[in-house]
Amino acid sequence: MEESSTQDHIELDEDTADLGTSPIPAAPYYQPDYFALEVEAIFRRSWLQIGHVCELPEPGSYIVREIEIADASILITRGRDDVIRAFHNVCTHRGTQLVSECEGSRSRFSCPYHRWTFADDGELLSAPDFERFYVDKADCALTPVAVDVCARLIFVNLDATPQESLAEFLGPLATELEELPSAQATTFSEYTYEIEANWKLTYDNFQENYHLRFIHPRSGAAAAGPQNPFGYPVNFGFHGTHRTQTIWSNPDARPLPFQGLAFVKGAELAMRDGFGDVTRAKQYYAIFPNLFLLGSPMTPFSQCVIPLSPTRSRGVIRLYWNGEDDCASRRFAREYAMATARDIHSEDRAVIEAGQRGLNSGALTHIHFQSQEILCRHLFQEVNRRVENWRAERDAAGRALL
Amino acid sequence: MSAVSLPSGFEALEVFVSDWSFATAAERAQRRLDSTAQEREVFFHTAENLVAPALDLLDAKPLDQHDAQEQRLMSLLLSLAHIGLAVEIQGDDEPRHARDARHITITRAVSDS
Ligand code: FES
Ligand SMILES: [Fe+2]
Repeated sequence: MEESSTQDHIELDEDTADLGTSPIPAAPYYQPDYFALEVEAIFRRSWLQIGHVCELPEPGSYIVREIEIADASILITRGRDDVIRAFHNVCTHRGTQLVSECEGSRSRFSCPYHRWTFADDGELLSAPDFERFYVDKADCALTPVAVDVCARLIFVNLDATPQESLAEFLGPLATELEELPSAQATTFSEYTYEIEANWKLTYDNFQENYHLRFIHPRSGAAAAGPQNPFGYPVNFGFHGTHRTQTIWSNPDARPLPFQGLAFVKGAELAMRDGFGDVTRAKQYYAIFPNLFLLGSPMTPFSQCVIPLSPTRSRGVIRLYWNGEDDCASRRFAREYAMATARDIHSEDRAVIEAGQRGLNSGALTHIHFQSQEILCRHLFQEVNRRVENWRAERDAAGRALL
Repeated sequence: MSAVSLPSGFEALEVFVSDWSFATAAERAQRRLDSTAQEREVFFHTAENLVAPALDLLDAKPLDQHDAQEQRLMSLLLSLAHIGLAVEIQGDDEPRHARDARHITITRAVSDS
């Protein structure tokens, strides 16, 4: 008998019919022209997750985060009024980068060049010899960047006038995200990697299970079984531009002794933490364009795949925790959970890079997605639609100038 | 290091204290990558049955009230969290696994003091 799974065949329904089944062009996964369009059409005008509220623990806290592909440095402050604001980290006198530290606590920011000094709400407070300028202080505030929070995750949008609010962008998923462990977290552990691969190729790896049995034969053992040898998900969900899957796990899988001990300790403590609501434990969220969130109370991680160039990206994975380590078992279980997630993530990197090297050769005009790679297909369609729309807008604007 | 560096009952782990105690998760992960199969196996198999009693002992007090002996024991348990994955899960795949894991940098951990 041929190997089969519980989900042999995915029927195209009203959610998925317009995604089609045809091959996908390969060029968008390596060509600089396409990447430049993505930067304009997507990364300069979408809500991007850039931090977590726990990084701004008190009034006066600030962080600075770079968005390299947009040459942007973003200063995010928590004001004395407790409001979270974001600004371009750019002095309004002559453009000097205002803050060089990546985090800290202070309520005013002085430019190193001529000491213009700004409040944490962006207002220009003072500037030496200001009488000699030909402008009002009120017109010299820091340039604001749209910022909003959902599930304690901080999002920014580089569009000066975003086409939709964060709530509109997330739609009904916002309510679900508020129920995830990250929405209660007060701290996190983090690991990162750099990869010679396009952001979509990298991201796609983490939204298909087809590779699981080949790339994670040991670390992913409990995520597959005889009844589902590829470990395909229980279902997929499409939510406008975002997508979800419900992860399958083998009910007959038995953890190894040491692993089991760490899991049991972790589970007991997650219950005590209030991460015990397992409704969303198997839900895996792909938030457009480049964020993943897993609802698991045991391994509550996010991954952000940050584009750096057409063929280079950075992955940032965070595991969210509610409260500092207070006892030995908690510290041990969290360390084990982080090391486990890191093991699995590390196994993917080399094969993604190998995929990029193949695509870079130009040998393929198209790539293929099977029905269980439908989330990858959905990402491409969502990206391509925005790229095409933006190209049309730009061309129309160009014609208007003629 | 004194002759009684660990709480009583954990004397068998004494020989690992100098090699497997670190302040950060990044250092523990690195030590795993730099270790030999034999080092990992001796550490893991000597310690595996002592992990549950060690956690029971250490859980009796909040972390910030641990004395120096208890802190050393905790530190060994945290290294075991990494080594356990290598020995119990990866087994003879660990060298290949380690090649890829070198590219993943732990930048912050809740256990870092
Ligand atoms: S550039 Fe900042 S004060 Fe002059
Ligand atoms: Fe994978």
